[in-house]
Amino acid sequence: MLTFKKGLSRGIIYFLEIFVIVISIFPLLWVLISAFKTNGEILGNPLGLPSSISFDTFVHLFENYNFPQYFVNSLLAAGVSTAASLLFYAMGGYVLAKYKFPGRTLLFTLFTVTLLVPAHSKTQPIFTLIMQLGLFDNIWGVTLVYLSTGMAMSIFVLRAGFMAIPKSLDEAAIVDGAGFIRIFWSINLPLAKSALTTAGILMFLNNWNEYYYASLLTMSDSQRTLPIALSYFTSEFSYNYTQLFAALVIVVLPGIILYIFAQEQVQVSMASTGIKG
Amino acid sequence: MKKRPARTNRMPKNHWERKNYKWIYLFLLPTVIIFLMFYMVPIIQVFVTSFTRWDGFNSPAFSGLTNYINLFTSGSFLISLKNLFLWALIAMFLHVGFGTVIAFVLYQRKRGWKVTRAVFMIPNVISAAAWAMIYRFFFNNNYGILNSVIRKINPDFDVQWFYQSPWAFWAVTLTWLFYAVIVTLLVFGDLMNIPQELNEAAIIDGASGWQLIRYIQLPLCRSAIATGVICSITSRITMYEQISLTTSGGPGNDTMSLPILLVNAVTDYRYGYANAIGVVMFVIGLVMMGIINKAFRMNETDY
Repeated sequence: MLTFKKGLSRGIIYFLEIFVIVISIFPLLWVLISAFKTNGEILGNPLGLPSSISFDTFVHLFENYNFPQYFVNSLLAAGVSTAASLLFYAMGGYVLAKYKFPGRTLLFTLFTVTLLVPAHSKTQPIFTLIMQLGLFDNIWGVTLVYLSTGMAMSIFVLRAGFMAIPKSLDEAAIVDGAGFIRIFWSINLPLAKSALTTAGILMFLNNWNEYYYASLLTMSDSQRTLPIALSYFTSEFSYNYTQLFAALVIVVLPGIILYIFAQEQVQVSMASTGIKG
Repeated sequence: MKKRPARTNRMPKNHWERKNYKWIYLFLLPTVIIFLMFYMVPIIQVFVTSFTRWDGFNSPAFSGLTNYINLFTSGSFLISLKNLFLWALIAMFLHVGFGTVIAFVLYQRKRGWKVTRAVFMIPNVISAAAWAMIYRFFFNNNYGILNSVIRKINPDFDVQWFYQSPWAFWAVTLTWLFYAVIVTLLVFGDLMNIPQELNEAAIIDGASGWQLIRYIQLPLCRSAIATGVICSITSRITMYEQISLTTSGGPGNDTMSLPILLVNAVTDYRYGYANAIGVVMFVIGLVMMGIINKAFRMNETDY
């Protein structure tokens, strides 16, 4: 009886593990395989394997459509905003962690409480702001909005990271005559590497994948990021299935590659999205 | 933390800090500017103009509660509230429940748990827009894989999942229902923090596997589960891509959601009305968070 129970619970565990793996990978594999099939094969035999492997569709997409441009746009918007906001929030998190000054608690509370604001509820003011700045339909307008998206989480993670660095290091540096900037840049910043990676990965992934503001703030083809391009592409070319699937692969792949190379850090980052403000 | 004797360098340190006030505030400046530009001012603007009639060209004219009255008498708004309520319930029980079960499965450390954890993450690292698109293809009647499999059993099967009435709601639900990796990571983190002695003590006292889970481990990851509930309901409030790229709220208003209505109002230049929807989203989020904090007794510590 006991062994039966043990076998049963083991069976349930393996079943659930397999279920998770299937639902997470199978749709992607299907997309990948379909990208190598012909239209006829996709319609006639959705479950089958492609008859031949050729990268012509991908080459075609890059040569005849603006995919290199979309890729660069995505990279610019996500990369620049992540680098800049990482620096800004590291500066903010650093002084919030290490110095006492009037208004410290108030500022920290204000910054982290922004976590409670649904990003979409501020749509109209942000739309109008970007219009007034003359950055509508411009990838830099999107980049500017992305600066703000990871604020609460980054300040929270980075402040905790700087707090973990012993104060005695700073004191020793002061005795040695180091200035404020040097103590921040050469002593604290290198030691906060893991907090910086956590916050950086999360912001980059979020901005790389962002759809809502990018779709609202851009119009013309040359300013689109990959997710936006994908949605236009599917409505314009809805009968060339091979191209649709290939475009999906191009959009999805960079995130997956980043994840493969930085698995541990991505998992830590994702878990910290649950940090309460 | 070790208690140190009163520091002798207390005076000079304070002095040093005061000397550097200009640096401290300079370091905070970028964050403060971003906060004002993208949070403080927009939020005030949303609240204030939600009581006005405003098209974005003429200046806003005070109109009292008109926007809110219009909202609560509009069919599509009421349907999106109903959808949100249903989706929140599904998220709370099924989505978080599934994530928690998987966390416990991983915690048993049977063969394959690391692979499972790694792979479960993948749907979350790709864009929600692409994932919505994948599901649109997946559920497609002509070349989608779901109907192809069903047709192997029943050749006459013919359902347009995203375009037919009772199915669309459930098809949208399925695009996120099982992808609960954040809940799993949160609960798993709490499980790993349970002191090993606690588990051993319970086993020595004769607790069975299920009792261990039910009376020791589950209560101890209460706050992770609550955080998971908050996260998952928050993403239901702001669910946009999964709907906009599949059904765009249809058929009829079957899968309408607040962000879709909000975007429609903004693009129609009904700014006051759009911001009233924003206020509703904001308030629902806060109320929900308060309730869950109370329900899970989040502020009490366990150890």
